Amino acid sequence: MKKIKNMSTEKLFKFFVYSALLTLAVSIIIPVAWVFMASIKENSEFYANPWNLPMGVYFENFKIAFIEAKMGEYFMNSVIATTIGLVVLLLVALPAAYVLARFNFKGKKFVDGMLMAGLFVNVNYIVVPIFLMLLGADNMIYDLIEQELVLNNIFVLGIVYAATAIPFTVYLLSSFFRTLPKAYEEAAEIDGCGYFKTMTKVMIPLAMPSIVTVLLFNFLAFWNEYILALTLNPSSGKTLPVGLMSLMQASRGKAEYGVLYAGLVIVMLPTLILYILVQKKLTQGMTMGGLKD
Amino acid sequence: MKKLFKVLLASLLCLGLVGCSADTDDNAGDATGTPETPVLKIAGLDGGYGSAGWEAVIANFEAAEGVSVELQLEKNIAEVLRPVINSGKDIPDLVYLAVGATGGLTEAMISEKQILDISDVLDMQVGAEGVTVGEKLLPGFTDALTSSPYQDGSLYLAPINYGPCGLFYDANLLATKGWELPTTWAEMFELGDLAAAEGIALFTYPTTGYFDAFFSAVLNSVVGPEQYAKLMTYDVAAWESESTKEAFALVGKLAGYVEENTVANANGEGFTKNQLLILDNKAIFCPNGTWLPGEMAEAPRTEGFEWGFTSIPAYTEGGDAYATTFVEQMYIPTSAENADLAKKFIAYCYSDEAAALFYTNGGAVMPIVGNEKFITAEDPNSLYYNIYNTGAKANAVGFAAIEKVEGVDLTSADGILYGTVNSVVAGTKTVEEWHADVVEAVKKLNK
Amino acid sequence: MKRNKEKNIFVALCLAPALLLFTIFMVIPTLNVFYISTLKWGGLSANKTFVGLKNYTILFEDMNFIASLQNTILIIVIVTIITMVVSLIFASIIVREDIKFKNFFRVIFYIPNILSVVVISSIFAQIYDPSTNGLLNSILGLFNGEGWTTIKFLGDQGIVIYAIIGAMIWQAIGYYMVMYMASISAIPEHLYEAAQIAGASRFTQFTRITIPLIWNNIRTTLTFFIISSINLSFLFVKVMTSGGPDGASETVLSYLYSQAYTNASYGYGMAIGAVVFILSFILSGAISKATKRDVLEY
Repeated sequence: MKKIKNMSTEKLFKFFVYSALLTLAVSIIIPVAWVFMASIKENSEFYANPWNLPMGVYFENFKIAFIEAKMGEYFMNSVIATTIGLVVLLLVALPAAYVLARFNFKGKKFVDGMLMAGLFVNVNYIVVPIFLMLLGADNMIYDLIEQELVLNNIFVLGIVYAATAIPFTVYLLSSFFRTLPKAYEEAAEIDGCGYFKTMTKVMIPLAMPSIVTVLLFNFLAFWNEYILALTLNPSSGKTLPVGLMSLMQASRGKAEYGVLYAGLVIVMLPTLILYILVQKKLTQGMTMGGLKD
Repeated sequence: MKKLFKVLLASLLCLGLVGCSADTDDNAGDATGTPETPVLKIAGLDGGYGSAGWEAVIANFEAAEGVSVELQLEKNIAEVLRPVINSGKDIPDLVYLAVGATGGLTEAMISEKQILDISDVLDMQVGAEGVTVGEKLLPGFTDALTSSPYQDGSLYLAPINYGPCGLFYDANLLATKGWELPTTWAEMFELGDLAAAEGIALFTYPTTGYFDAFFSAVLNSVVGPEQYAKLMTYDVAAWESESTKEAFALVGKLAGYVEENTVANANGEGFTKNQLLILDNKAIFCPNGTWLPGEMAEAPRTEGFEWGFTSIPAYTEGGDAYATTFVEQMYIPTSAENADLAKKFIAYCYSDEAAALFYTNGGAVMPIVGNEKFITAEDPNSLYYNIYNTGAKANAVGFAAIEKVEGVDLTSADGILYGTVNSVVAGTKTVEEWHADVVEAVKKLNK
Repeated sequence: MKRNKEKNIFVALCLAPALLLFTIFMVIPTLNVFYISTLKWGGLSANKTFVGLKNYTILFEDMNFIASLQNTILIIVIVTIITMVVSLIFASIIVREDIKFKNFFRVIFYIPNILSVVVISSIFAQIYDPSTNGLLNSILGLFNGEGWTTIKFLGDQGIVIYAIIGAMIWQAIGYYMVMYMASISAIPEHLYEAAQIAGASRFTQFTRITIPLIWNNIRTTLTFFIISSINLSFLFVKVMTSGGPDGASETVLSYLYSQAYTNASYGYGMAIGAVVFILSFILSGAISKATKRDVLEY
C-alpha cells in the first residue's frame, strides 16, 4: 500500500517538475521563434495579430537591413570592437586575476577593494567623463601631429570595452584560480618553472573552462553594447546596436517593422551560434565564489 | 582552446588590416575637402518627412553656390549630436531638430545659449526672387517663442516645415452614424456619451508627447491669447488662475472618455496601437499632425474609412477654436565654422524652388508666403492646411527660454505638464493634484 | 631574498596593465563623476558653476528621485528573491533528479540571457499587449468569462513595475541556474546517499545539504543581482515604458538620464550617479556581512 502511495507521489512530483520545466522552455522558445518569424514578414502584416504566421518568406527585409541600413558594415565594426575587446581583456585580466588569487603581496587588499568597487561603477554614468577624457587626448595629439586618433576609432572602443570589463572578469577568473590546488604550482616549481612559465604553461591552461565562460559573458556584453559605441564613435565606426537604432521607428514616420526585426535577427544570430558552440563549457567554468575558499 | 586563440589573433590581424585601409580611405575623403571649397555640414532628424527633400534641396544649393554639403540625418540625432557639440569639434553648421523633439537637445541648446543670433538672415535676399527672407516668411513665425526664445526681438531658430495639429477622425464613421462634428466641448462630451453607448471611445492619444500641441490649444481657447502668452513665460499668477484651472478640468473630464488601452500603449513601443484605434473605429478622435496618414499608410482600416481633420473644439458656443501650428526649427550652433554659408542655405530654403522640392519630396510645407500654390485643391493635404481657412485660429506652442532647475521637468513629453495626463486618465491623480503639481513646478522654475 | 624580489617584479608586471586600463577608464572617470556632481552644468556649454553639495541637497528632497529609488529597490528585492528561488530549484532538479532532456533544458533556459534588451522588449511588448491580442491577456481570457476586461500590464501604474520585474526574471533565471548548477554538481554524491538512507526527503536534502554547501556561491550571486538589476532595470524601462506611465516605472538610472539630458541638468544627473554608486556598494557590503556564515566543508 505504502509503496503504491510512494509511486503516485513520485509520479505527481515528476509531473510538476516536467510541467514547470516545459512551461519555462516554451516561454523562451516561442518568443525567440517569433522574432525570427517576424523578420520575414511584410510590413503590412505587422498590424494584424502579431502571433499570426507569416504569409510568405520576405527576405527583402534582410537585404534592406544589410545594404540600405548598412548593417553589413556595422557588423564588421562590431566584430572588430568585440574581438579587440576580448583579446585585450584576456591579456590583461588573466595575469592580474592569477596574481590576485595565488600571491600575497603588499597592497593586495587595496587592489582587491578597488576592483570590487569597480564592479559597482555603471558605464551609463561614466561614459561622458570617458568621452571628455578621450577628447582631451585627441586635442593633445592633434596639436602634435594634426591627426585625430582616439575618438571615432573602433580599436580604442575595443580597449575601452576591455577596461570596463576588468573588475568583473578579474573577479570571476580569480575566484576560479583560487579553487585550484596548491600542488600544481609546487610541482611546477620542482620542475624548475619560473613564475611566468608556471602561470602560462600550468595555471592558465587549467583555467580554460573559466576563460571560455568569461569570453562568452564579455562577448555578449560587448556585442550588445550601445552607449559607449554611440558616444565614443559619433561620426564613424558605428556598431550593430547603434545601427539598430536607425531601424527603430522614426518619430512621426512610417514604421519599417520587418526591417527592424531583420536587424534584430542579424544582431542576435551570432550570439546564438557562439552560445551553442560553447554552451558545454559554460557550466564547468562557472565554478566560482569558491566552494573551498 | 589554443586554436580558438589562434583564430582570434589571426582574425584580429586581418581586421586590423581592413581597419587600417578603411582609415586611409577616410583620409583620402578628407583631403578632397580642400580649404577653398567650404563644406557645409548639416545634421538633423531623420523624421517623418524623410531625407529626399533635403537631398534635392542640397543638390540645387551645391550647384548654385559651388560648395559641397554634408548631410547627416539620424533618427536618434539628439543622442548622436550631444557628444559632438560637447566636444566643440566638427560641429554641424546647421542643425535641423525641432523644439520638443525627443532627447531635449534643442531645449538644452536654447537654455545654454548655444544658438547663433540669425536676425540678419531676415534681411537676406531669397534667391533672385527680389524679396527678403523677412518678407517671404509668413507673419507670426519669427517672433514665436520657438524661434525667438529669449524675447529679445532677435531670431535664433529658423522655422521650417509647418503644419496644423488637430484632431484626426474617421469622417465616414460620423457620417454613417449620423453624428455631427462637435464644435464646442459641450458637444464633444455629448458625442462621447452617444459613442460610449455603442462601445466606441471618444478619445485616444499616441503618447503624452502629443499634448504639447493639444493641451496648449485647449489652454489658449479657454484662457484667451493674452493670458496664454503669460502661461508660456511661466507666469505663476496665470498658471494659478481659475480660468487655467478650467482648462485642466476639461482635460480631466476628457480623461473619462479615453479609450481603455491608451495609457498602456502610450509609450515608444505601443503608440502605433493607439493610432490604430481610430482606423479600427474603436476611438473617434486622436490628436496628431499632418504626417499621421502617411505614417499609417500600410495599416488596415475599417471599410469606408476616410480621414477627417478638425480643430480643437471651442470652449463656449461661438468662442475661438484653435489648431496648434506645429513647426520645426533649424539653427546654427554658436561654434559652427561656416555660419555665413549656413545662413545662405537657410535663406535658400525659403525660396519657391526649395519649397517646391521639400514639398514634392516628402510633403513638408515651408512657412512662406504663397505656399498655397504647392497645395492644390485635389491634393489630400489641402484638407489639413485648409483648417485655418474654415474658421480655426492658429495656436503657437512653445515656452520661453528659462534656466533649467534640477529635478523639475515641466515641459518635456514625460514632464509634469503633459506626462501627468497618463495619471489623470488612469485615475491615480485628480485634476486638482495635477494642477497643483504644475503650479509648484512653475514656482520652482521662477526661483 | 632573490626569489622574493623576483616574485614582486612578477606580481607588478602582471597587475600593471590591468590596473593601468582600470585606472584610466574607470577610476578617473568615476572621480570625474563626483567632481561634475558638484557643478551646475547643462552638459553642452563651457558654462559651469561650482555649487558644492547643492545638487545632493536638492536630490534628497526630490520626490521623483525618491520614487525612482524605491522602484529600483523593489526591483532588486523581488527579482533577487524570485529568480534565486526558481533558479536554485531548477538547478537542483536538473542536476540531481532523473530527468530526461537535461541538456535541452539547460541550453534553452540560458538563451534569454544572450538576447539583447531590444529583442526582449519587443517580445514583452507583444506578451503584455493590453488588447485581447496580447499573449498573456488572451491566455487570461480563456479563464475569464464575458465582461472581463483585459489587464493593462504597462498602463496600470500599480502593475507596470511588476511587468518589468517579470521580464527581468524571465531573462535572469537561466544565468543564475547555470551558476548554481556548477556548484551543485560539485557536491559529493555520498552526502545525498547518506541522507537518503536516513530517510531525508527531497526538500530536506535541498535545505540541509544543497543550500548550506553552495552558500558562498549564493552570496556571490547576491552582489551580481544588485549590480545587474540596477543596470538591466534601466535598459528594460528605457525601451519598454520610458519610465511611464507618468513616472510609475522610473528607476534611478532612467531618472539620471532624463535629468542629465532631457532636463539639461548634467551636474545633477552625475549626483544621482554618485549616489547610486555609493548606495549599491553599501547595500552589497551590508548584505555580504549579513549573510556571512561559517562555510561547511565536505
